Amino acid sequence: MLIASLHSAPAALAAFPLPALAEPSPFPLAEKLLLAALILVSAWLFWRRFGIVLRRILAARKDADFHLFPLTRRIWDFFWEVLCQAKVIRERPLPGLAHAFVFWSFLAFALVTTNHIATGFGFGFLDPAGFFGSIYFLLAAVFAIACAISIAGLFFRRFVVRPVWLAHKDNTLSPESGVIAGLIFLLMATYLGAYLVPAGSAAALVLWWMHTLTLLSFLPLVPHTKHLHLILSPATIFLSRGGFSRIPPLADDEDFGLVTGKDITQLTALQVYSCVECGRCTEHCPAANTGKELNPREIILGLRGYLNEYGPASEEPLLGRYNSQQAAFQCTTCGSCEFQCPVGIEHLPVIVGLRRGAVNTGEWDDEHGGKLFLALERSGNALGMAHSEREKFLAREELPAFDGSQEYCLWLGCMGGYDPKGREIIRSFVQVMRFLGTSYGVLRREKCTGDPARRLGNDLVFQQLAENNLENLAQNKVKKIISICPHCVRTIAEDWKAYGTPPEIEHHSEFLARHQARLPKQPTTGTTVFHDPCYLGRYRNVYDEPRSVIAASSTLVEAERSRERSFCCGAGGGLAFLGEEQGARVSETRVEQLISTGATTIGAACPFCNTMFRDALASRTDNAPQLLDIAQIAAAALPKTSQPNTLQENP
Amino acid sequence: MKIIVAIKQVPERDARIRIDSSGKWIALDDIEFRMNESDAYALEEALLLREAHGGEVIVLSAGPERVGQTIREALAKGADRGIHILSDSLASYDALGVARLMAAAIRDEAADLILTGLQSDDLGLGQTGVILAELLAIPHSSLILKIEKTDTGIRVLRELEDGWFQQIEMPTPALLTIQSGNTRLRYATLMGIKKAKTKELRSVEAASLGVDAVPSVTLDSVALPSRQKSTQMLTGSPAEAAAKLVEKLQQEVRVL
Repeated sequence: MLIASLHSAPAALAAFPLPALAEPSPFPLAEKLLLAALILVSAWLFWRRFGIVLRRILAARKDADFHLFPLTRRIWDFFWEVLCQAKVIRERPLPGLAHAFVFWSFLAFALVTTNHIATGFGFGFLDPAGFFGSIYFLLAAVFAIACAISIAGLFFRRFVVRPVWLAHKDNTLSPESGVIAGLIFLLMATYLGAYLVPAGSAAALVLWWMHTLTLLSFLPLVPHTKHLHLILSPATIFLSRGGFSRIPPLADDEDFGLVTGKDITQLTALQVYSCVECGRCTEHCPAANTGKELNPREIILGLRGYLNEYGPASEEPLLGRYNSQQAAFQCTTCGSCEFQCPVGIEHLPVIVGLRRGAVNTGEWDDEHGGKLFLALERSGNALGMAHSEREKFLAREELPAFDGSQEYCLWLGCMGGYDPKGREIIRSFVQVMRFLGTSYGVLRREKCTGDPARRLGNDLVFQQLAENNLENLAQNKVKKIISICPHCVRTIAEDWKAYGTPPEIEHHSEFLARHQARLPKQPTTGTTVFHDPCYLGRYRNVYDEPRSVIAASSTLVEAERSRERSFCCGAGGGLAFLGEEQGARVSETRVEQLISTGATTIGAACPFCNTMFRDALASRTDNAPQLLDIAQIAAAALPKTSQPNTLQENP
Repeated sequence: MKIIVAIKQVPERDARIRIDSSGKWIALDDIEFRMNESDAYALEEALLLREAHGGEVIVLSAGPERVGQTIREALAKGADRGIHILSDSLASYDALGVARLMAAAIRDEAADLILTGLQSDDLGLGQTGVILAELLAIPHSSLILKIEKTDTGIRVLRELEDGWFQQIEMPTPALLTIQSGNTRLRYATLMGIKKAKTKELRSVEAASLGVDAVPSVTLDSVALPSRQKSTQMLTGSPAEAAAKLVEKLQQEVRVL
């Protein structure tokens, strides 16, 4: 049946002829030579710029930790993010789809364009009247129409609608984007026009040459503009480090992070030149949205400016003309930029890299930062409290010591061990574990995981804390850790790997969701908006578990920015410990967003978010919603008898 | 300016203290050690002076092998070289003995300035520095908050009691004991630690310095302070309770 229909296809075509693309008559030798000369000029102009960029990328330092294998993840990323344009579409559906059509049209045109040039030399291999040729040209025509509409739409969006994110920092729009859009539109129009004129006619010849000249003008423009991403970003996505916010290990004794051009690696250089300046990173950045100097796109473009001026062998400091120290230290490491980037740029290794460069060499001089590092050095916790305070808390709450016989090591963290609000979360979570009969114990000696030091770029303190804790956990034979703090979870699970093998760890939301069915049912009251902590959502991909805990006792509502688009509370990246912010407070901006849902309760799942929101809510005089951790929400369902009589902090 | 900073390694501040079996000192196993706090400020002052006027900062410490770690920390923060007076039985020396060891170890250095912390966080004698100055026959001043270099020597700001301060002009060489808290301490950096590995750390055996180990002051016994917790609840209306509180703060605690 199938074979029969295939055989009868040409006959069917003859009966219902498809519209055919008009090709010009064969060229005389002079015209062929002219074409060859123009191609050479275009290619030369292209290479004159692209060669420089490529040499700069290749001349950068090699990435010490780069491994090409396993390829599976790379192939998947390439398929999903490049070929399917999944990220481009998902995060900005309409413009994303328009972009995807332009991209898919380019793919469809690969064959058409090759044939087009070959035709000029008399070697055309697709017959416009033939079976395959006629169908393929028609398919390309469908894409051409979609592409022309899309590019016109994108042009309209950029120059008429003018979303603020597309503008440069001086609020101008790049005119070359308009030129490129015009050229793409012309490419499509000159292709489609060939359907409307007779083959071999003068009009066909004019259209052929217009198409060719558009193409040959387009090519040299690519490496001069952000359209370099056409060539580089598929490679960038394929070669990316993988993981999320992955901070590379320092290469050797001379490596202190990103200090000068010599520290820029090939992957970073490739990413820097791939930036398409779409501004998605800026659009989602909590610092850029609250009037701070930091703008993640400008960080990347700053590095590009540096490489263009000084090159990758320069000893000029990276924090100077093109990037500022102040901006680098305004990042909350929320990871929105990296999550959003459609061309595979990994912003966090860059921003944390710049901080490492400034902190590991002692260049960063900040009153609060210095105090934090000294507190971590001397007291082993970020709050600078005496260890004895933690001991008192353990005794008061009758928290058993971990002795190897219990299932879980309950990791208190700095907030759970020392902060009054963090202790309340621990207390509630312990009530739930006691109710469930889960065995747990607490380490007598526990130091900060090093999260704030890690994100602020202090490798010395981070390494000391990580090694010290790893040794302590190994000595105590800890197999499974549970923590109320997403920052502890991330740092232990991922960042400690640089110095050993951390035990298995999970966040209490995962534990609570798993045991949800065994907790008493209670009537649903009020509405609760859940704030996704950056280090739980984007960093760990945990979105549904805390929601299921909340939904058991309250009606869940969503903030406009939620799940992977959640807006930071302002505490991450060590910023909870630094001084007053430039511009508006991130925490107050976020609280405003949460309150606007009308929810009666804000549900949190991170002691840092909790403390930021508590402060932001305290400054409000109106009826502010109550603020509860999911552990407190879960504990509220327990029968009162199972609760110990220590709900209040002892005087 | 050649500056020597004498630092002491002490048990970390909130260590869980137990008295050892001899009853004369605390049990040192399971204790972590830190740089004495006011010594850290002395080091910071020395580094600031060197940054402003050039010269060399030498750290000096005495004690067992583990003290080397604190000297390394000082080198990592920017000191140029270190001298370690190696002794496993430093506790058998009194302040005079330790000062004699130090004097013997640094006499040939001919430093312009010797800085020490005001006192140690463990013994709190506040003696070693000033005795060292006497042994070296140089002038000293204690409780110093600020040091400025002048054409003829130094000008220092000294803290007196009750919010009074004293400005003193001194010649060099001199010895100063430094009060905590007047400057911002720098944090240790990775680059500092890496550089510290290549810096000179000279070890001198205490026994080779020709100092008599027989102390003139001996420690008889140590005891943990007994803890008394007496909470008083002030009752009545907020105004009455506040009045009672003010009275107590004035009459009993005498802080108002």
